[in-house]
Amino acid sequence: MKKVLVACGGAVATSTVAANKIRELLKEKNIPADVSQCRVSELGSKAAGADLIVTTAKVDRDYGVPVIHGVAFISGVGVEKTKQQILDVLN
Amino acid sequence: MMAVLDYLLDLGPAVMLPLVIFVIGLLLRQGVGKSLRSGIIIGVGFVGIGLVISLLTDNLGPAAQDMADRFNLGLSVVDVGWPGAAPMAWASSIGTVAIPVAILVNVLMLVFKMTRVVNVDIWNIWHMTFTGAIVSTATGSFWLGILGVVVHSAFIYKLGDWFAPTVDKHFGLEGIAIPHGSGTWSAPFAVVIDAILDKIPGIRKVNFNSTKIEDRFGVIGEPVIIGAALGLIIGFLAGYPVSDVLQLAVQMSAVMVLMPTVVKFIMEGLLPIAEAAREILDKRFQGQNLYIGLDPALLLGNSQVVAASLIFVPLTLVIAVLIPGNQVLPFGDLATIGFFVSMAVGIHKGNLFRTIISGAVIMAITIWIANMMIGVHTELARQTGTIQSGQVTSLDQGGSPISFILTELLHLQNLVPLIIIGSLYLFSVIFTYIQFKRNKIYAEEAVTTEEAGYESTRTGQ
Repeated sequence: MKKVLVACGGAVATSTVAANKIRELLKEKNIPADVSQCRVSELGSKAAGADLIVTTAKVDRDYGVPVIHGVAFISGVGVEKTKQQILDVLN
Repeated sequence: MMAVLDYLLDLGPAVMLPLVIFVIGLLLRQGVGKSLRSGIIIGVGFVGIGLVISLLTDNLGPAAQDMADRFNLGLSVVDVGWPGAAPMAWASSIGTVAIPVAILVNVLMLVFKMTRVVNVDIWNIWHMTFTGAIVSTATGSFWLGILGVVVHSAFIYKLGDWFAPTVDKHFGLEGIAIPHGSGTWSAPFAVVIDAILDKIPGIRKVNFNSTKIEDRFGVIGEPVIIGAALGLIIGFLAGYPVSDVLQLAVQMSAVMVLMPTVVKFIMEGLLPIAEAAREILDKRFQGQNLYIGLDPALLLGNSQVVAASLIFVPLTLVIAVLIPGNQVLPFGDLATIGFFVSMAVGIHKGNLFRTIISGAVIMAITIWIANMMIGVHTELARQTGTIQSGQVTSLDQGGSPISFILTELLHLQNLVPLIIIGSLYLFSVIFTYIQFKRNKIYAEEAVTTEEAGYESTRTGQ
């Protein structure tokens, strides 16, 4: 079971969009995963134990976990590339 | 027809919106199952936020009142924050029509080349909706409410245009605009303050920024900690016994954690509409000359925005105490206070010193406005069934000059504040427009955050 954290500013809007897309993707590829949402300000304490962080915000900090910028899920530009990056990390 | 509409509105948002979303889902050919799920899940969001808001107002409300009485402080009306205000907007009589109205305004402005922003950020239409809902509550007119949505959306798309170069050059987000009802409305103030600071000898050279603040103090920015700390402080100041103080601390921590957890279900219910809107906009409007309008969440990971967010948690509380006669106790918006100053960080090119100055002005004006909106905000909260008793307000959108100015223009109650805030804001917007036309909003080469990884170092003199 892979653990994916999806973060945005308030853990309400953009992370919900991105998390839904990621759940669909992982289901389609048969990768069992726990996809949960949080605020960027919570990443510091939640990052430990995660396999991947996807943020709609552009984060400058290093959490010791691979971070993918997931703005494509919101803007619709470059979604395939972002999906591939996620699969590369989780496979 | 009106009778049917009244009946539906009387059912309350937790029942009415699921029906509306279900029908819209069917119209968008999402299928019965998926539409039903979206509909019910949005209802779950409303039930959830109702529970969390009562947890907040039933416990923090009386404590804040006791504290206010003991110290003659004010600060007795709790800020429910945007997670509390947004559901009120969606549940209002304007809520169900606001999304198509805001999109229509966007499409017309694009067709007539009045904006370059293609706004696909459907969630944040709640800001425009809130303006409409507040105007409608104050005036009792549905159509004036719609006018509020139109004015707010047209204005915010223009601001999106003006600050797109800042989003591109400072935050490195090319082709993106942030037409946002709190992060972007406050930006014109920052433009004026930046220009003023540029003229003051000595001060104009002060520049510091920090990446260490997050490492050292990141924990105080965590919602659980903010909630617990506020619960402790307010319970203590209210003169509660220790056992009650501790209870309040854990309850407020719970509010902070649970708020987004329940509000996200409202977003989940809106997903089919958001998807459909994005597809329509994508198909019609493509081109290199357009910006995609997105949520300011994109800016919140920037290290200087993170640093400012941390500083403004205590600073906003200090400002709230210092403003004479202030009744508003900042709470719900504290966990994402960075939204208010996110664009300002870009305008000041990551200079934390300037961000603190302009942010303090922005928060003071926000709190002042939120005070004057308590009456109509509370009325909206009761109409939408969010609260049964007591008073509420919010910083984001209850403290927005756009909602305030429109409401006062149509339903005058505070003439002097209207003149002061109206002229300050009008001046800032005109000044911002002139700077935009001269390409001066983000002029010289900036010190980017990557280059400036030192802590609190003053450069210059």
